[in-house]
Amino acid sequence: MKRKVLCWQVSLAVPTLLLGFSAQAHEPEKHMKEAEKPECAAMKTMDPSKMDRDDPVMQAMMQKCKEEMHQEEAGPEDSHADHSRHHDNGNANSPVEHEE
Amino acid sequence: MPSTKFLSCIKCLAVASGVAVAAGVAFIYSGFYPVGADDRHTALTFWALETLRERSIARASAGIEVPKNLSTPERLLAGGADYNDMCVSCHLKPGKTESDFALGLYPAPPNLTQAAPGHGDPEAQSRHRFWTIKHGIKASGMPAWGAGHDDERIWNMVAFLRRLPDLSPGQYQVLTARGSTDSDHH
Ligand code: HEC
Repeated sequence: MKRKVLCWQVSLAVPTLLLGFSAQAHEPEKHMKEAEKPECAAMKTMDPSKMDRDDPVMQAMMQKCKEEMHQEEAGPEDSHADHSRHHDNGNANSPVEHEE
Repeated sequence: MPSTKFLSCIKCLAVASGVAVAAGVAFIYSGFYPVGADDRHTALTFWALETLRERSIARASAGIEVPKNLSTPERLLAGGADYNDMCVSCHLKPGKTESDFALGLYPAPPNLTQAAPGHGDPEAQSRHRFWTIKHGIKASGMPAWGAGHDDERIWNMVAFLRRLPDLSPGQYQVLTARGSTDSDHH
């Protein structure tokens, strides 16, 4: 008798647990719906001379905020020209000088 | 004559260890050992468990090869989003210094936003972390994530953990957000 009850409990508990876990979604795509958007506004106010474009963290942030940054840049240059220009600065190993 | 002395010594040892085992079993059955997570280990138990864990992980992770490209922005973004979904509740994030899990779990989850002390060699630390994330730690709150996540995803989180102590709350938010700003413009 006891064993039957236990069996019931297990057969109820296992699918419930599985359902619960699947709601936590292991696949990255499943997170997209309720996905939080990156708050890129802070990046736009950052001092460009303090941005190290060789730093993977900075590169990752720029990748994430690409869309938003491009809208703001609204200049004649396209993004590629922009990247290479800054890259030269990085290679020369001298921070961008700003006239006061 | 010496052989009987030797024999009696063996007998004496056998009886002593028998008594010790019986006392141990009696203690287990007695219910006197406190298992509450809010009851701290004694210094000796703490040392024994800590040393057991460190030695075990060091040995088990010794042969793991750390990928050369751990510092790519792609790994940071993938690992950051996973970290934010699965790990913050216990291991915290920049600007967040406590959570119910962080306060109530024992052993307490380490605050991974702070640089880990005593791990001089980043390669060894990465191996150690990869193994821990993949296999979890018995009788602690740390789950084994290897069951539902392949090695690459775990390496991405290891890559993210390397930079986590440097991140400001704002940088953390951008790196870990799953959504992209693209979705606004369709
Ligand atoms: C339910 C809480 C919980 C969750 C969720 C959790 N952990 Fe842990 N983690 C712990 C605890 C507790 C420990 C410490 C175990 C110990 O000291 O024996 C730990 C230890 C670790 C360690 C070892 C730290 C060191 O230097 O020794 C790493 C790395 C780690 N966790 C990474 C992660 C990652 C990555 C995730 C998300 C995929 C994660 N954890 C999710 C509770 C958790």
